[in-house]
Amino acid sequence: MMEQPASGAFLATFLFFLLALTSGALFFAVNVIRRLRRERDELNHQKEVIFGFIHDVGDVFVHSEDVDLDRMLSRVLFYAERTTHAGAGAVYLYDKTEDAFRARAVSGIFPPLTGEPDARLEKAVSKSQHIERLIRARPIRRGEGLVGEAADFGVPILIEDAERDPRVPQYDHEFLRIRSILLVPMRFLQRILGVLVVVNRVDGRPFIQADLSLLQALADQASVSIHYAGLRDSLDEKQRIDHDLHVARQIQTALLPKAIPRVEGVELAAFNHPAQEIGGDYYDFIRIDEEHLGIAIADVSGKGIVGAIMMAISRSVLRAQAAVNRNPSEVLMAVNRVMFEDIAEDMFVSMLYMVLNVRTRELVVARAGHERPAWSRAHEKSFTIIDSPGLALGIADKETFEGALREETVRLKPGDVVVAYTDGVTEAMDEGGEEWGVDRFLGAVSNAAPDGANAVLNNVQQRLMRFVGGVEQYDDMTLLALRILE
Amino acid sequence: MRECIIKKEEADELDIVRLDGALDSYSFPRLETTLNGLRDSQRNRVILDCGGLDYISSAALGALIGFARRARENGGDLKLVRLSPKIYNIVELLGFHKILEIHSELDEAAAKFRNG
Repeated sequence: MMEQPASGAFLATFLFFLLALTSGALFFAVNVIRRLRRERDELNHQKEVIFGFIHDVGDVFVHSEDVDLDRMLSRVLFYAERTTHAGAGAVYLYDKTEDAFRARAVSGIFPPLTGEPDARLEKAVSKSQHIERLIRARPIRRGEGLVGEAADFGVPILIEDAERDPRVPQYDHEFLRIRSILLVPMRFLQRILGVLVVVNRVDGRPFIQADLSLLQALADQASVSIHYAGLRDSLDEKQRIDHDLHVARQIQTALLPKAIPRVEGVELAAFNHPAQEIGGDYYDFIRIDEEHLGIAIADVSGKGIVGAIMMAISRSVLRAQAAVNRNPSEVLMAVNRVMFEDIAEDMFVSMLYMVLNVRTRELVVARAGHERPAWSRAHEKSFTIIDSPGLALGIADKETFEGALREETVRLKPGDVVVAYTDGVTEAMDEGGEEWGVDRFLGAVSNAAPDGANAVLNNVQQRLMRFVGGVEQYDDMTLLALRILE
Repeated sequence: MRECIIKKEEADELDIVRLDGALDSYSFPRLETTLNGLRDSQRNRVILDCGGLDYISSAALGALIGFARRARENGGDLKLVRLSPKIYNIVELLGFHKILEIHSELDEAAAKFRNG
C-alpha cells in the first residue's frame, strides 16, 4: 500500500517527463522542419537566382556577335543589377589612349566614386542625368579610388557596410548615399579590361559573398566579349583603311597608261611601283599631233582617296590643255589656274611636263616643283640635269606661279637618253633606313643608257630592289625613260 | 624616324616655335595644334626654327604654306629659319622658297619682322 502513492507519483512524473520529452521533441522536430523548409526555400530561391543568372548570361552573350559594345555593356549591367538586386551600377572600361578607366555604361543613380559632384548639381533640372554625365566625363586613373584598386590588384572588393569605410565617398544627398558596394575586375588573359560596380541592394540589406560570386561570373563572361569586341573594332578600322587604299589604288591604276605608245624615232619605257601607302604617282604619254609627244610625270602630296582624286583632276586638266597647246609651260600655267581654284589650299602636285618634237628632236621642259630630269648624252659618261625654275601646282596664285615658271629647251641627238622620276625612287630606303640617293640612281642610269630606255629601266629596278631588299616602301616609285633612235 | 619635339617661346611681339626631330603625317598634327593656338590668340608673327629638323614630309610643307598665308592675311607671317641643306633642297625643288620667307638665322627673321 505504501508503494501506491509512490507508484502514482512516479507515473505522474513519468507521464510529465514523457509529455515534456515528446513536446520537446515535437518542438525540436517542428523547428528542424521549419529550418529545413527555410533552407529549402532559400536554396530554391538561390537556384532560381542561379538559373535566372545562367539564362541572363546566355541572353547577354548569345547575340554578342552582332551587338555593339555599348549595347552589350548596358545589358551586362542590367543583368548585374538584377542578379545582385542592386539599385545602381556602372561598367568602367580601360582606355589605352587615356591610360585611365572610363564609365562606358551607367544605370540607375550611380554615385561618383572619385571626386565630388560639382556645384551645378543643385541647379541641374535632372539630377540623375547630371550625375551620369559627370561619371561618364570623369576618367579614373590607375590606382585611383576603389575602381583603381580593384583594377590594379585584379581582385573583387565587397564592402558590406560602406558608410563606415573610409575608401567610400560619403554624400549628404540621400540619393547619392552608398550603403553597400561591390566591385569586380574584368579580366581577359591576365589583362584588366575594366571594372564592374554595383551599389546598394534595393532591399536595404548589404551585399553578400554569393552576390560577389555571381557578379564575378558575369564579369568573366563579359570580359571575353569585350575583348573580342575590341578586336573587332580595330579590325573594322583596318578593313576600312584597306578598303580606302584599295579604291585609291584602283583609281590610280585606271589613270596610268595601259600600254606605252609606239612613237617612231623614240624608244619609250616607264614603270610605276606602287607602295604600301599610296604616294599618288602618275605618268602619262600624250600624242599631241604627228610631230609632238607630251610626256608627264607627277607626284600628288595627298595620300589615299583624296590623293587619287587630286591625281584624276590633274590628269584631266593636263590632257585637256595638252591637246590644244604645244607649249609645256603654258599648259602647266593653265593646269595651275584650275588647281589653285579648286583644290584644298594645303595640297599640291609636283609635275614635270615635257614636249618632244620627234622630227626636230627638240625637247621643251617645264617643271612645276618636280624632280629635275637627267639627260645622258650618247658616248658620254656624265649627265646634264635639266634645270628649269618653277613651283608645284595648286599652291600658288596665278601671278606667283607664272612669275616663277621658266621652260628649258634642249636639242637631243640619236642615242641620248632622258630620265624622269619621282622622289620615291631616290628616297627608297633599305633596312637600316639609308636612302638609295640620287648618285646611286644616276649610276644605274648611266650604266645602262647605251643599251636603251628599257635597259635603263631594268637596271634601275634591279639595283633598287637589291638595295632595299625586302623592305616595304612607303612611297610610290615611278620612272620613265626615253631614248632618241638613229 | 625621331619623334618631333615642339617648343614654343615668346619673344616680345614674336613667337618662336622650335622643331627638333622629324615632321611627318604622325607628328604634324601636334605642330598644327600649336600654330592654330597662336592664331586663335591673335599671335600672327611666328618664326619656325628648323635647326633641329631632320625630315619634313611634302604634305607638312604644304600645310605650312597654308599657315603662312593665313598669318599674312592677319598682318603677320610665318618665317622659316635655320633649314638644313637637305631640307632647303626639298623646299627649293618644290619652288616653295618663292612663297615662304626663309632666313638662315633667327635674328635676321626677327629683324625683318621689326622693320617690316
